[in-house]
Amino acid sequence: MATRSILRSARLQCTRHISSSSVRCHDIVKLTSASADEMSHFNALASSWWDVNGPQRILHKMNFLRMDYINEMVKGHIKLNDNVVDDEDKVYIPPYSLDLLPKSIRTRIQQEQSARRDEILSQKKLKALDVGCGGGILAESLARLKYISSVKGIDLSTDVLEAAKLHQKLDPELSEKLQYELTAIEDLPKDEKYDLVTCFEMLEHVQYPAQVLSEVFDRVAVGGWVVLSTINRDPISWFTTIFMGEHLLRIVPVGTHTLEKYIDQQEIRNWVEGSPYQDQFAVVNARGCAYIPAYGWKFTSSADVGNYFMAIQRVK
Amino acid sequence: MFPLRRFLATTAKPLLQDVVIVGGGPAGLSLLAALKNSPTTKHLKCTLVEALKLQPVRDFGEDPPENFHNRIISLTPKSVQFMQEKSGSWDYLHQDRVKFYDNMVAYDSQDSDARIHFDASNVILDLGALSQIAAMCEVVHIQASLLQKIDALNEELPEEDQAVVIDEAKVVNIIAGNACDTIDAKSNPQTSLDWPVVTLSNGQVLQTRLLVGADGQNSPVRNYAEIESRGWSYDRFGVVGTLKLQFNDFRDIAWQRFLTTGPLAILPLPEDNATFVWSSTPELAEILVKVDEKIFPQLLNAAMTLDEVDLNYIYKMLKANPADMTVLEEIEWRTSLIPEEDLDEKFPVPISELMPGSRARFPLKFLHADTYIAPRVALVGDAAHTVHPLAGQGLNMGQTDVGLLVDALETGVDRGLDIGSTLVLEKYVATAWPNNHALMGVCDKLHKIFSTDAFPVVALRGLGLKSLNYFDVVKDIMVKAISGR
Repeated sequence: MATRSILRSARLQCTRHISSSSVRCHDIVKLTSASADEMSHFNALASSWWDVNGPQRILHKMNFLRMDYINEMVKGHIKLNDNVVDDEDKVYIPPYSLDLLPKSIRTRIQQEQSARRDEILSQKKLKALDVGCGGGILAESLARLKYISSVKGIDLSTDVLEAAKLHQKLDPELSEKLQYELTAIEDLPKDEKYDLVTCFEMLEHVQYPAQVLSEVFDRVAVGGWVVLSTINRDPISWFTTIFMGEHLLRIVPVGTHTLEKYIDQQEIRNWVEGSPYQDQFAVVNARGCAYIPAYGWKFTSSADVGNYFMAIQRVK
Repeated sequence: MFPLRRFLATTAKPLLQDVVIVGGGPAGLSLLAALKNSPTTKHLKCTLVEALKLQPVRDFGEDPPENFHNRIISLTPKSVQFMQEKSGSWDYLHQDRVKFYDNMVAYDSQDSDARIHFDASNVILDLGALSQIAAMCEVVHIQASLLQKIDALNEELPEEDQAVVIDEAKVVNIIAGNACDTIDAKSNPQTSLDWPVVTLSNGQVLQTRLLVGADGQNSPVRNYAEIESRGWSYDRFGVVGTLKLQFNDFRDIAWQRFLTTGPLAILPLPEDNATFVWSSTPELAEILVKVDEKIFPQLLNAAMTLDEVDLNYIYKMLKANPADMTVLEEIEWRTSLIPEEDLDEKFPVPISELMPGSRARFPLKFLHADTYIAPRVALVGDAAHTVHPLAGQGLNMGQTDVGLLVDALETGVDRGLDIGSTLVLEKYVATAWPNNHALMGVCDKLHKIFSTDAFPVVALRGLGLKSLNYFDVVKDIMVKAISGR
């Protein structure tokens, strides 16, 4: 998600940096010790990044969908009756759609299931990594979830990370659970494993997405999740994200997107199936989404058109 | 910025909370109970602040007095459902003090044939839903049940998650946290929170992620958030009180008569008890609160049955002398002209007694806030809207507000959002405001249509009521609307 402003400030460094584990850019590192007028610049950036009615509103709105999707994937794939020996203690999971049941019984079953789910989640808390965290919109949301024990947000732009850190201070709940780091994914130690790695709105901006995905996969714990989003390479995507988004409505700066870098969801599936990770990782779900003006983001019925989310789980 | 910083520096460090609710009326207490009753939001740190003493309310819950309290409202089935499923307070009501009714008769004082009879027992509802129009219940009773529910929830929660209710404490001051000065924020993180800081008369200082105004018509929270509330005064007063009927009415009917001075409703309570709401001109209200308590029941009977001409004559006598006992003979003689079967069928059971000291008067207003939210602020109940009582919707709208606000906060917590952010609260105002506005508009139009004696309007509304009375399908739809479905 950071990529929009990465592109604004340090586009080349960013893409190269992610695509190869090359030497760190010194001028980026140097920026961390900020002078007074750089501070005011960060402050301006922070306030625009987090102004929910400002230019990033569309991103804040998309965050609703991201969180719904992550919740659905993580919560929906918990085995409720695993390790339950006694049949009496098992939660009832009807072998048919819950919608067929009368409302009162349905809610009863749902409440029972979600209570068990919360119980399981509270026992096993997840460690999360947000790659390309930007101003921290997703990272903050993840850190507030009860089933997440810690969140690390990484990005390559000092500016937005500074904005993220400033905003983090505005909520005492976040101080212990959330950390930001100016680093590339390949520079994180490989023995540092995460239960949830997110890379939203990022793959369409990098030179070698396969390499980035490999780096991500190497840092996922068994049973853990990779949740990503990017854009299908089709005329509709060009129309919505480039023609409308950049040129006509100017929701994002011109030049933010390059159609050639968009990735079809089928291509990711094919890559996973043909890669060395094929036995370990499985694409669990892909779902399209679209921005509807005056409404917000909405899931669509096809993952093959426009923007999409994808959830990949490490099965062993 | 200067006085603010000094203020924070000289007082104790404020106690951080997720939700501070100002106002311990039904809306505020419902919100607290519903938040603590929801598995999603029960971990939020919540404090409720009430200016008055709550011990009398708790005492009511423990050991209710024999006579009914004069502040009584009708709960729609939707509100009842909210209390059963969301706030969980329904089971804490003494069911023998709650009166359901499934019939409603409304009629016009200027055209004796213009009447409409709603019968909810005909309306087919979903499985298990209550086939009722509404339930009459005392406001203090609702508060007591909520306090009991909150106490019960607190017993199950770990200490740090328990709801806190502070009574006998007024809100002295609300100021914004240090929002804009982020450079200062960096050097001194303690003061960096943009959360509102609430100072109480007992010296406590709370700083809260979300401040909820459930603090009534003149809401200090609404003023703090600089939200305009627009509307007008009706130049009418509502007079209320509790009554004894001559005998127990088994019909479960709510009666409403549209007088040119405003609607008069007689609403059933358990056994031979009842309550009235009489909307009237300031001049008439003045008479109504002064009339001798012995004459008053007969005056109510007269107002439900006699013609406006007769009533005006009686009002005139009472204005001259509120204890003029000859009025009783006057009423008796005029009532004797009405055929007996009409008295039995078309009008409520005669009232025998006004409970001493139960009469009260309040001005009627229409007020609606421009919005219910601001950054870190939400309004519920009367702080958001005040409505003409003729359709009994005021408290029910407040319950709907609370339900929708809790929905929005649950979604916000699930999505890991800051629940004080307008991103979370927008959903609340988008769902609550338009419906309330429509409902308030209907109540306002009804008041305007029925408070005139201009001949064309009287003829048209009479025709409307009479013809509508034959269309059961339409009436059933209206019953569903009144009962909040």
